[in-house]
Amino acid sequence: MKGLLLKDLLNLSSYKTTLFVIVLFCGIAIVGTEAFSTASCVICVIVGMIALSTFNYDESSKSSKYILSLPVTKKEIVLSKYVFAVSSVLLGGLIGFLLSVLLVPVLNSFRSESKIVLDFSELFISTIGGMFAISLIQAIQIPCIYKYGAERGRVQMFVFIFLIVILITLIGALLNHFAVSISIQEVESFCNRYGILLLVLAMLVFYSISYFISYQIFQKKDN
Amino acid sequence: MKNTIELKHVSKEYPGFHLKDVSFCIPAGTIVGLVGENGAGKTTTIQAILNSIHFGGEIQIFGKDNRVAEKEIKQDLGVVLDDSFLSEYLSAKGVGAILKMMYANWDEKKYDTYLKKFKLPSSKLIKSYSSGMKMKLKIAAALSHCPKLLVLDEPTSGLDPIVRNEILDIFRDYILEDESRSILLSSHITTDLESIADYIVFLHEGEIVFQLPTSDLLEKYGILKCSEKEFEQIQKEDVIRYQKRKYQYEVLISDKQKMRKKYPFAVIDKATIDEIMLFYVKGEK
Repeated sequence: MKGLLLKDLLNLSSYKTTLFVIVLFCGIAIVGTEAFSTASCVICVIVGMIALSTFNYDESSKSSKYILSLPVTKKEIVLSKYVFAVSSVLLGGLIGFLLSVLLVPVLNSFRSESKIVLDFSELFISTIGGMFAISLIQAIQIPCIYKYGAERGRVQMFVFIFLIVILITLIGALLNHFAVSISIQEVESFCNRYGILLLVLAMLVFYSISYFISYQIFQKKDN
Repeated sequence: MKNTIELKHVSKEYPGFHLKDVSFCIPAGTIVGLVGENGAGKTTTIQAILNSIHFGGEIQIFGKDNRVAEKEIKQDLGVVLDDSFLSEYLSAKGVGAILKMMYANWDEKKYDTYLKKFKLPSSKLIKSYSSGMKMKLKIAAALSHCPKLLVLDEPTSGLDPIVRNEILDIFRDYILEDESRSILLSSHITTDLESIADYIVFLHEGEIVFQLPTSDLLEKYGILKCSEKEFEQIQKEDVIRYQKRKYQYEVLISDKQKMRKKYPFAVIDKATIDEIMLFYVKGEK
């Protein structure tokens, strides 16, 4: 599996410049808007999306046939994609978090007054939020790519996300219809207490379900 | 003689295509050429050997079931596919680093030697290589872990005669290095197979038409040419296939010497693998 991970990493090495430019622009945006917490979230999502482009490289080189001739199992092939995706989310979160943390003292050194005070808990929540968003996208998109291919899979992913939004809206409408009242304060307090834990748990559950579905699709497929 | 590969009643069905009950074997130390028209089932057969598709029947490689001992078998298998490789966005150096992590017997020195021998720049991206260079890199990658069996799907297609000849020489050297090694080579270019293969397996519409030694095909098979009247004198069991031409009949026969004695009135020419294939596909029985 290490070989497969190296292949994806080397494939993405052409993205080095793109990634650097993105981080640079995010840095400039942070400086301009002072939206430190948002930037970490955005960087995390972008890095996670770039990681999914390894599927496009595989598709354009028709590499799946060749990879299946190598001494790796189908399970390892699918698992390597998930390890790569999860690593990209962690790396994106780390880059976003560190960029914000490092930029604040630099900015403050140029200011004599109204120094920026970095809210670490907000930055942390925002980073985890970004990681959650991209992990949800990856968890939906990877099985779609295995089923429909890299190009069509992206379209299918948007269809799925659209369906999820409709479902949530419907649930909201039903709650309203049956006059179920939810106290915003209670929700906020619950989220403050268990939010991060729930998001991390949800990510693990999404990835596990997604991996299981992707493996089933890949296993049944004739490559 | 031990068999490196044994296919027993292999079948696979796609819409509009059926690989039917394919059984053949590759004895150790031999080169077997897989021939057939487009869509005959050559690639499907190779995919079944590599266990990359679901198929019916059984395939044994090195005496082991290819579904059960897949990973173990593939450690000793070198594969070249015409239309698929790791990635166009990698360099030869990157390919080496990846495959080193996958093959227990990966020989870095051997790989570097092949790269130098084939004049392949190790740092350039593969997408900038010519077709011949890409094929040579695939071959270098397939040979550098000293496999016991090479599976080659159209390794010479789209290449000029000089590069094709160089590539065939590499395969000959590979067999000469260790005579227990085997090669399964699928190709459209039957002249390549005439010069290198020990056996020819001919697939037509998903079925095996014959598996014969190449020397038998080239030395014993022939094309008997005669008039309509003379054709009527030829016994049915001597006719494998025949074609009616404008001025004569052409008959595919399996024993030139015997037929020359039996039908002295007829002209009998040597048959190429291409001609034999054409008779089987287009000829009447």
